[in-house]
Amino acid sequence: MSSLSSNGLGLRKAPSISSEEFQALRGLIYKTTGIDIPERRKYLIENRLGPRLKALDLKDFTGYYQYLTSASSKNQEFAKLFEKITTNETSFFRDLKQLETFKENVLKEFIEKQKKTGEKELNIWSAGCSSGEEPYTLGIMLHELLRASIIGWKINIIANDISPEMIKKAQQGIYTEHTLRSTPQEIIDKYFSKEAAGYKIHPKVQKLVNFELLNLNNPQEVQKVPKSHIVFCRNVVIYFDDDMRKKVLNLFNDKLYAGGFLVLGHTESIHKYSSSFKPYHNAGGIIYQKKDS
Amino acid sequence: MRKVCVEHLKPGMVLGTNIYGYDGSILYEKGYELDEGSITTLMEGDLSYLQIRDSRDKETAREDLFRRCDEYVHEFFQYVNPENELFNEMFRQTLKRAFKAVQYKWELPCAAELRAKNVEHLTDALFIEETRPEEIVKYETELVSFPDIYVQIQEVLNDVNSSAEDIAKVVSRDIGLSAKLLKLINSPFYSLSQKVDSISRAVSLLGSNEVSSLALGVSTIDFFENIPPELMDMKTFWKHSLRCAVYSRMLASRMQGVEEDKFFTAGLLHDVGRLILFKNMPYASVQVLLFARGNMLPLVEAESAVLGYDHTDVGALLLEEWSFPGPLVEMIRKHHKFEDAEPSVEAAIIQLADNLAIASDIPSGGRFVLPGMGQDTLKVLRLSVEDLQELFDMHDQYIQGVLDVYL
Repeated sequence: MSSLSSNGLGLRKAPSISSEEFQALRGLIYKTTGIDIPERRKYLIENRLGPRLKALDLKDFTGYYQYLTSASSKNQEFAKLFEKITTNETSFFRDLKQLETFKENVLKEFIEKQKKTGEKELNIWSAGCSSGEEPYTLGIMLHELLRASIIGWKINIIANDISPEMIKKAQQGIYTEHTLRSTPQEIIDKYFSKEAAGYKIHPKVQKLVNFELLNLNNPQEVQKVPKSHIVFCRNVVIYFDDDMRKKVLNLFNDKLYAGGFLVLGHTESIHKYSSSFKPYHNAGGIIYQKKDS
Repeated sequence: MRKVCVEHLKPGMVLGTNIYGYDGSILYEKGYELDEGSITTLMEGDLSYLQIRDSRDKETAREDLFRRCDEYVHEFFQYVNPENELFNEMFRQTLKRAFKAVQYKWELPCAAELRAKNVEHLTDALFIEETRPEEIVKYETELVSFPDIYVQIQEVLNDVNSSAEDIAKVVSRDIGLSAKLLKLINSPFYSLSQKVDSISRAVSLLGSNEVSSLALGVSTIDFFENIPPELMDMKTFWKHSLRCAVYSRMLASRMQGVEEDKFFTAGLLHDVGRLILFKNMPYASVQVLLFARGNMLPLVEAESAVLGYDHTDVGALLLEEWSFPGPLVEMIRKHHKFEDAEPSVEAAIIQLADNLAIASDIPSGGRFVLPGMGQDTLKVLRLSVEDLQELFDMHDQYIQGVLDVYL
């Protein structure tokens, strides 16, 4: 057995990644996704991806790089790689105060305005939706606000993520108690049903949301996203470097109608990267509005 | 039956109890043999652990327990250089202690217990757009002033005409502070040959620098209250800080040409910036904790990713504002600096002590990832594997006496 006295016992559990291999892999991940992995995380990457090398029976990271770039396995393995390097713990009604601000100061006004003009249409883009908690939260919020009158509205919540695994989970719409930890009980009772595997989101919420795989760093894929009134992109730009942040904010600017709104994560601010938005803030958090150009 | 955390399940393990689905139906029956598929399903659910049937022979059970310990401890070492012999030794020492602890009565904590609680009621005092470290420190120092005793000690320290006896007089005025100081100085950690029963005796044995620096440290502990318990309980925080203080002073006393008198306090206060962040930016700090845990990152790295600065920036500014001695401020400012053209022994000591303190806390439930340290910085200390073993043993011997003084 492995005993404490054995000399083999130590930290080395995965094949070692050389500086060149790390830089190559880092470059490839950046080029493909815009996700920047700082040099400091070299050993972490080694540890996180080690099991992939083992599963694929590859002897080193050069082999893994080749496997990642070979046409046949490219997309599939990239999907696995994302799961290992970005783990976004999220939940329903995450950052409640920001959501309240959004509802009270943005959404209600927007709905009134649309009602007056008779354009009962609302497009929301949830960019980086993870396993669906955010777009479904927005769907629930709209049901709560509009009640029965929601029938007269054309609502489209486009929800994207880079990970196929996350999109699959989101489409299934089954959740644990943990992801519902900040959801009020009456909302759970109203919009979820208990199944063996977890809490299933109500179909009337589900039908407001369209999930699709999307890489924010891929211009062709991004082009297909329709114009939106509101963009949510919370806790995503944190993985990007300055260039990619600028790029993504430009993209949101393009995809928003004039006067549209952008909601970022609690700690994410944009004044360093873009001047196309003006911040609107109160105690709940910051919401950005696209300036009229 | 034995409790096994879901992240440590292995195919072939047999369920000791029924597992129920969310709707009350039986998901897996007692006696079911787990496979890859069922393990994945269970890991995605809310259960943090399961009851697993014991294997018949003791040796297999012991081996499995050891495997789980190894996996558990290794998680906290993912960020450090796996080739470095000192970090390898740190890992082995930690694993040895963790394995001993689980065989005694400690239970391996499960990953699910670490997940965030509902923290939606927390509110930051400042808008994230305005919050550079300068603003946070300004907000903090305008809001509350530091204890009188601290100011008095500063005055004596800065007065060229003051004597060691003056320091003793000032410190003695605060009875609570003096009692704690004497208890600390009399604990086995300081290994003084005789019992010290007055501050003036302490000053003559340890010097006025050490005593005044300790007095600053001790009054700081009492200064911080009202940190949201969802983020971190103060006992955990100071336990880590005291471990770091003990390691810092032990390391300093081994180094040539290093004055050890300020190291206990430097170790004690190295993370003080984090308290300011927790206090004034609790919701932002939650985002930091989530990001760190989700990505298995050391907190310091998560801080810079989420906030754009880290607790060393905040801590150093605060201590500067409070006119702490310059060298002490510098040690705290640099205690996570990975690359330094000319790494200082002082900063290297605090860095290593921080890693050692985190490692030493793992076998009693500490849940923080080791931040590691730069190779060049580590080299400055010229430590051997044997030195490290000795440091671990000495820490184990002294820590309780020190914790008893404060907590």
